[in-house]
Order: sequence, then C-alpha cells, then structure tokens
Amino acid sequence: MIRMTAEPLLSIRDLSVRFRLPEGEAVAVDGVSLDLMPGEVLGIVGESGSGKSQILYAMMGLLASNGRAGGQVRFQGQDLLSLPPRALDRVRGQSLSMIFQDPMTSLNPFMRVGDQLAETLRVHQGLSRDAAWKAAVAMLDRVRIPDAASRARRYPHEFSGGMRQRVMIAMALLAKPRLLLADEPTTALDVTIQAQVLDLMAELARETGTSIILVTHDLGVVARLCDRVVVLYGGRVMEEARTETLFDNAAHPYTRGLLAAMPRLEAPLTPRLGTIPGTPRSGGGDVSGCPFAPRCPDRIDICTKARPPMRITGEGRRAACHLVEEAQ
Amino acid sequence: MIRFVVKRLWNGALTLAALVTLTFFVMRLAPGGPFSKNRKLSPEVIANIEATYHLDEPLWMQFGRFVWGLLRLDLGPSTRFRDYSVGDIIASGLPYSLTIGFWAVIVATTVGIALGVAGALRRNGFTDYAAGTIGVIGIAIPIFVIGPVMQAVFALKLSWVPVGGWNDGWRSLILPVIVLSLPNIAYISRLTRTSMIETMRENYVRTARAKGIGEWRTIWRHTLKGTLLPVIAYLGPATAAIITGSILIETIFALPGIGRHFVDAALNRDYPLVMGITLLYGGLLILFNIATDLVRAWLDPRLRHDG
Ligand SMILES: Nc1ncnc2c1ncn2[C@@H]1O[C@H](COP(=O)(O)OP(=O)(O)OP(=O)(O)O)[C@@H](O)[C@H]1O
Ligand code: SF4
Ligand SMILES: [Mg+2]
Repeated sequence: MIRMTAEPLLSIRDLSVRFRLPEGEAVAVDGVSLDLMPGEVLGIVGESGSGKSQILYAMMGLLASNGRAGGQVRFQGQDLLSLPPRALDRVRGQSLSMIFQDPMTSLNPFMRVGDQLAETLRVHQGLSRDAAWKAAVAMLDRVRIPDAASRARRYPHEFSGGMRQRVMIAMALLAKPRLLLADEPTTALDVTIQAQVLDLMAELARETGTSIILVTHDLGVVARLCDRVVVLYGGRVMEEARTETLFDNAAHPYTRGLLAAMPRLEAPLTPRLGTIPGTPRSGGGDVSGCPFAPRCPDRIDICTKARPPMRITGEGRRAACHLVEEAQ
Repeated sequence: MIRFVVKRLWNGALTLAALVTLTFFVMRLAPGGPFSKNRKLSPEVIANIEATYHLDEPLWMQFGRFVWGLLRLDLGPSTRFRDYSVGDIIASGLPYSLTIGFWAVIVATTVGIALGVAGALRRNGFTDYAAGTIGVIGIAIPIFVIGPVMQAVFALKLSWVPVGGWNDGWRSLILPVIVLSLPNIAYISRLTRTSMIETMRENYVRTARAKGIGEWRTIWRHTLKGTLLPVIAYLGPATAAIITGSILIETIFALPGIGRHFVDAALNRDYPLVMGITLLYGGLLILFNIATDLVRAWLDPRLRHDG
C-alpha cells in the first residue's frame, strides 16, 4: 500500500481492538492498516483516547483482560495476533520490544535495575549471570547513565524520571530488536530533557538498525524524528503521509486542525494537540459517518451518513475524508 | 539497613515502655481492689494484705517497684493463686498456647497464601470458588460454633481425634489448630487474592510480560513480592494474636494455655497476672511488628530508607 520497493517489516491489516464492558462493547481501534519498512521511523499521532496505545498493546499481546484484537499483524512472516503464548514470548523482548508511557511505574520497584535488564538476555539468549550483567551495564552506559556499573545495582526509586526512561530504552534495545514500539516515551518527563531522551533513543535505534513506531500527541516530536506519520482519530486512520508532506500540505481537515493548533514560533517540542474546538471522541465503533464530523469545520451533508472511504491521494499518501479526491 | 533496624528496635522499646505505664495505671484506676470481692475482712487483715502486696505505698513507689521487677523479669506474686508467681503461671500456660499458635500460624499462612494465589491465577475457577467458600465460612461463622460442630463430627461421631485436652500428643493439636487457623486462612487467602490481582495489573508487570520472559517467570519474579507485602503486614499482628492463644479455643478444647488465665485474672482483679499477660501480648505484638517491618524492608527497597 505504501512503497512497494521492499518487503515491509510489519504489516497491519484491519486491526481492531474491542473491549467488553458491562454496558456493551467499546471499540477502541477500528480497522487500522499500516506498513512499516525496515529502518523506518513511523509516527502515530492523535489526541488522548484515539487508540494509539491500544494499537501497540494489541501487537504485544498486552491488552487488558476484557480486550480482544481482530485483524492481522504480520511481523517477520508471522501473524502476532494468532501466535500461541510461547511463540509470542520468543518475539517479545527479542525482536519486538516496547517502551511505555509512564517510566515512574514501568520498572519493577523490587528488583535491581541491572537485574531487570539482564533478565531479558538470560531468558532469550541464555547468557550466564555474569555475561548478562556485563551486557546490561554496557547498555546502561550507552544510554548515558553516569557510573553505570554501580548504578546497575540500584533500585528504580533511586533514579529520576528521565533516568528511568533511559533505563527503559536500554532494556528495550538490549536485545537489538528489529522493531521498537515507543508509547509517548517522553510525555511524562520534564520538558527540558524530552528532546535529549528522544534523540538518544533514535540514535541508538539507528545504530542497531531498529525500526520505530513512535506514538505521540506532540507534532513537534513527529517533525523531529519521524519519516512518516499516521494520523489517528476515534480509533481510525484519518490520514497518512511522509512527514514533510503532512506539514506542508495536509489533506485531511483533522490534520489541518492539529497543525493550526500548533504554535509556529515556539520551540517545536512544547505544543500539544487538543486545541481544536470540541471534545475528542475516544473509540470509533458504531459511528456510521466520519468520526470527526461533530468537530469538523468543513463538514458536508454526507459526512454524518456515510463513512468516508480511505483514498490514495498520491505517492505514499492516503486520507479518509469525503472532500479528498483520489489521485489520478 | 543497620540504622533502620536500630531505629525500629528503639521505637519498639519506647512503645513497650508506654504500654507498661499505661497498663499499670489503668489497672490501678479501675474501681475496687483485688480483695474487695471477698467476705468482709477486719481492717488489720486488710492492712496486712496491702502491706504484703505493697498496696499501702504511694502509687509512684508501686510503679517503681513494678518496673524494677519487670527489669528482672519478676512480675511478683499472683493475688489470686497466692502460691504462684505471675511468672510461674504464664510459664506453665505459655508452652501450650505457643505450640498451638505456632502450628496455626504455619497452617494459616501456607494454606491461605496458596489458596489466594491459586484463586488469583485461575479467577472463577474451581479453586477460586473453593477458597471463596472457605473464606465465607471462616469469616462468617464464629469459632464458638465451628469448634463444637467439629468436635461433634470428628471427635464424637467419627472418633478420629480427641474432643479436647492435651493427652493424645499431636492428635490433640489437630482440631484446635484447624479451628484457630480457619478464620486466618479465610482472611489471608482473600487478602492474597486481592493483592495478587492488583499486582498483576501493575505497569511493571506489564513491562515484564513485554520482555517475553514467560508467564511463570513473570509471576514468580515480578508479582510475588508485590503480592506478599500487604499479606506480611497483616501477619505481624495476627501472629501475635494467634500465638498468645485464643481464649475461646482454649476454653472449647479444655487446653491449659494462658488464654484462659486472662479472663480469670481480669474477673478477679488479679492485677499482677492481668498486667503480666497484657505485657506478654503487647511485647509479642511489638516484636512481631518489628519483625514484619524488617521482612517488608527486606522485600521492598523503598522501605529501607525512610529512617
Ligand atoms: N480495559 C479497557 N476497557 C475499556 N475501554 C478501554 C480499556 N482500555 C482502554 N480503553 C479505551 O480505549 C480507548 C483508547 O485508549 P488508548 O489508551 O489507546 O488511548 P491513547 O490514544 O493512547 O491516549 P493517551 O494519549 O491518553 O495515551 C480509550 O477510549 C479508552 O477509554
Ligand atoms: S469526512 Fe467530512 S467530517 Fe470527516 S473530515 Fe472530511 S469533511 Fe470533515
Ligand atoms: Mg496512550
């Protein structure tokens, strides 16, 4: 669907995530498809509740117990959604790893930081205690934890938020995965260190040839790091384009709204989404028309009645909006 | 860590001192004296008795004498069983209470934790329902009902175990231990189950899953400590309570433990004995709380630095 030159590393087809709730079913992700090439950095942007995290959790087999994923996630020739637990465990932490939204609670408070890193290598690569520990310390050093050898013996509560997220990055990249899923890795951090941590992550991933899916609601982050962007709203893909194209010439009214809400002169890392008038909807589901219709300034009659089809609008570009024309 | 231990011990000592003071004065302020229940005595006899037990001295001197005695582990004579010292009475009952209490703690902890973990891992499975049922029985039905019912069934009807007393070796232990541990099994299993389910929802457990280290390792290495911390917090005071013997259990099964002396002593205003038992219970409580704190600090590095 995107560039047909090489075999994609990851292909998601028609992914859906549904949650069983006492009052019925909630659809958090609704028919999402996307491809990722080796070495590529793909951004997924969208307001809070648009389903960004659930896409990643579905891929990792980490959905809450009331959640079910549908569709296909092809990664290295396997469909992750239909893998039995043991087979999935050979992929997770080895060739596919994840960094979570909240570094303060994502590390085990009862375990030495070095042990948490070493554990991955011991289980996946069968390294000895010593060898795994050495590799862990080396990796902590690479994410610029000062005095890594002695810090490895410390517990997470003895690290600052930024340091913990570095530890998470070290842990995720330790086994040199093919794909790193980064779920808003810096939103919880102090603004002054966000860029630093992101750059470090991107730099290390480049060195190991790791592709990244970077979830964020910060367009500045996208501009800085991503090759390509998928814009998500109400659990559906609204638009996809190369980063420059998206910033220069967005096709979708929602994307244009996001860009307009982004202050131009300020440092690119500070602005956040969410200044489009109206309440963002969370969960797509049974919307018959366009999920963005209630807030869309360009809305026409058909928007609330028919679901806008996904149209290819150019080289590697697509958008789901009734106003957008198919490329010739 | 050493500072932490010293600090906990020091706090424990202070609490014990407060307990000693409080018990002493509360007992002395209670209306009536140890001998006011007996038939009318002549003033000379009363004066005599009061002199024997130093009740004629000013309060602060009695307190000083009491503390001095305590430091030498001498709790003085019982006012009711005149030929025995409080120490003797406690020493005679304690081994029985301790034996039953020890086994009840072991049974309650192992069975309770095992049931709780099994229930959390297989929610709504068979074990979960079984544990839930035991929980309801153990918490809702009081000991003085369960005890006699068990005696009727297992001792009188089936004759598997003795009805009571302490003459059949380990077989005398079975019923009291089961009955004493039952409410605790119920409580501990429910606590463990809730705590484990909560822990499994923690972000760091999700991180462990994401590492692909396998379900078993995730549970063993990443959820067990978080699960056990609240359980251990409960075990401290519970152990002190179980070990000092349950008054009801000792009465139902006619056991010669210290629990029974306590009621007796209180009813007869046997100050020294009441204070002795109170201090024993308080001391154990403080001791087990310290032990609990130390175990928790050993498990949780975040607790080690707050002192
Ligand atoms: N266990 C659950 N049960 C029901 N609904 C859920 C559950 N988990 C998530 N959801 C819903 O799924 C939707 C998408 O959530 P998701 O976490 O993917 O949002 P997000 O885009 O990552 O937002 P944020 O930027 O706040 O992290 C939300 O509406 C959320 O309420
Ligand atoms: S389909 Fe209609 S409502 Fe939706 S974004 Fe396009 S114009 Fe707006
Ligand atoms: Mg999220």
